Amino acid sequence: MTAAVVAESLCKRFGTLLAVDDLSFGLEPGTITGFLGPNGAGKTTTLRMLLGLAAPTSGRALVLGQPYLQLSQPALRIGAVLESTDFHPGRTGRDHLRMLSEAAELPRARVDEVLRLVELNDAAGRRVKSYSLGMRQRLGLAAALLGDPELLILDEPANGLDPEGVRWLRDFLRTFAAGQRTVLISSHVLAEIAQTVDQVLIINRGRLVVESSLEQLTARVGGSVRVRTPEAGKLVAALEGAGIQTSPSNDHTVLAHGTTSERVGDLAFAAQVPIHELIAESSSLEDVFLELTSEPAT
Amino acid sequence: MSGQFKAELLKIRSTRTTIGLIIGMIALVLLFSLLSGLLTKAPNLVSAEDQRGVLSVGSLAGVFSALAGIMLITSEFRYGTIRPTFLFTPKRSRVIAAKIEAGLLAGFIFGIVAESLGFLIGYAALAGRGIHFALNGNQIALLLLGTFAATALWGAIGVGLGAIVRNQVGAIIALLAWGFVAENLLFAFVPSAGRFAPVHAQDAFIGLTTHHLLHATAGGLVLTAWTAALALAGIALVHRRDVN
Repeated sequence: MTAAVVAESLCKRFGTLLAVDDLSFGLEPGTITGFLGPNGAGKTTTLRMLLGLAAPTSGRALVLGQPYLQLSQPALRIGAVLESTDFHPGRTGRDHLRMLSEAAELPRARVDEVLRLVELNDAAGRRVKSYSLGMRQRLGLAAALLGDPELLILDEPANGLDPEGVRWLRDFLRTFAAGQRTVLISSHVLAEIAQTVDQVLIINRGRLVVESSLEQLTARVGGSVRVRTPEAGKLVAALEGAGIQTSPSNDHTVLAHGTTSERVGDLAFAAQVPIHELIAESSSLEDVFLELTSEPAT
Repeated sequence: MSGQFKAELLKIRSTRTTIGLIIGMIALVLLFSLLSGLLTKAPNLVSAEDQRGVLSVGSLAGVFSALAGIMLITSEFRYGTIRPTFLFTPKRSRVIAAKIEAGLLAGFIFGIVAESLGFLIGYAALAGRGIHFALNGNQIALLLLGTFAATALWGAIGVGLGAIVRNQVGAIIALLAWGFVAENLLFAFVPSAGRFAPVHAQDAFIGLTTHHLLHATAGGLVLTAWTAALALAGIALVHRRDVN
């Protein structure tokens, strides 16, 4: 099976800045991949190269087995949104979609179909300048969906969305990908897309830092465990004796990092420390993301 | 009619920019036609060349046509619609070629509207003042058809210029600075070179016979060559440059 998206030693140089540095990855069809990294990591530049808007300095970018520029009818196979603001403010939402569907010679009825799909049919006759950010995001998505593509590439689609919008997007992407379709979605906030994606690519300063499934990433983090005990000092000694990092949050609570609740419970039992509460905390996925992408200590 | 061409026509029709340009153009044609037709002293309206000056006011449509061409491409860069446009049609030369065709068509319509109006007002002014009409049928045909064609070409010139400059304000300033200042200075000081510049080529093409201007046919060819050169340069540059 051909990979849906392939980057082969992709490089992009702007003057002295190496924005994308020897980036290689491949995405299987039917997956939802989160493309993560802090702002300025090279995500958008990579997506622009995948979509034929920017030429790589070296290396190759393939979508559905070909460079984007060589696809004969790309809109029928690939939908993409790079900026949520790519509209003429004085043009109606429907006309924006019509001009694109004319260019791709799509049936006229398709415009109304995608408007219904993104729930914009009521606003379609209004000029885009009156649209909220969430509506613009959905209009961009509608444009990407005009050709009923099998691959969807979205750059920061959750940026600026309210929680309701984020949830709408998540539900939408799940439904979209259910039919063996592929999604590549970038974000600088892991939490925005952690509930949507199967796997993550994390880049920093143009280089690939992590390529793994979400489970592997979670496992790698290990999570932290919050323990409430009347004998905090004794527990810290036991945990540190077993090589587990801890940090006290108050006299009766200990936070154990990079471990599981089973291991902490067993160690506490062995050390005869009474436990009043034991909570596995999963919020640390964001921490590992920040750790992986933060500036190296100098 | 290709899908891309239809898309470009829709872009022209679907914002208020075009109607704004047409209204501005009609207002200027009305103003200048009435002023020159009514206020020019009768002894200065006797010769064919004098009358051509009054009757060719509609040729100012070229500026508006070029502005429409500039807007057709630079507003895509300004508002970012160039990204979806190129995602839907990755062969960028097809996009620019369709814009050039659309610019020619829009410009042709601008030319018909402006020059028909200007000619009618000028003619009515001459007739109303009892001034003998000095132009023959061929001269009238050259004036009207030449202006329609030249205004169409300016639409394509605008697209080419916009594709080269990309920045909307920059392209508009470049057009106006060249058309109203630089080219007039060039023609005034070095007419042997200035007559090959686009505005003066157009003047020749529509039949004006000011000293130093090219012959009408040569003027048409030179203006067409300018159009082709700018269009090809625009296509080549858009093809080469990354889209942000």
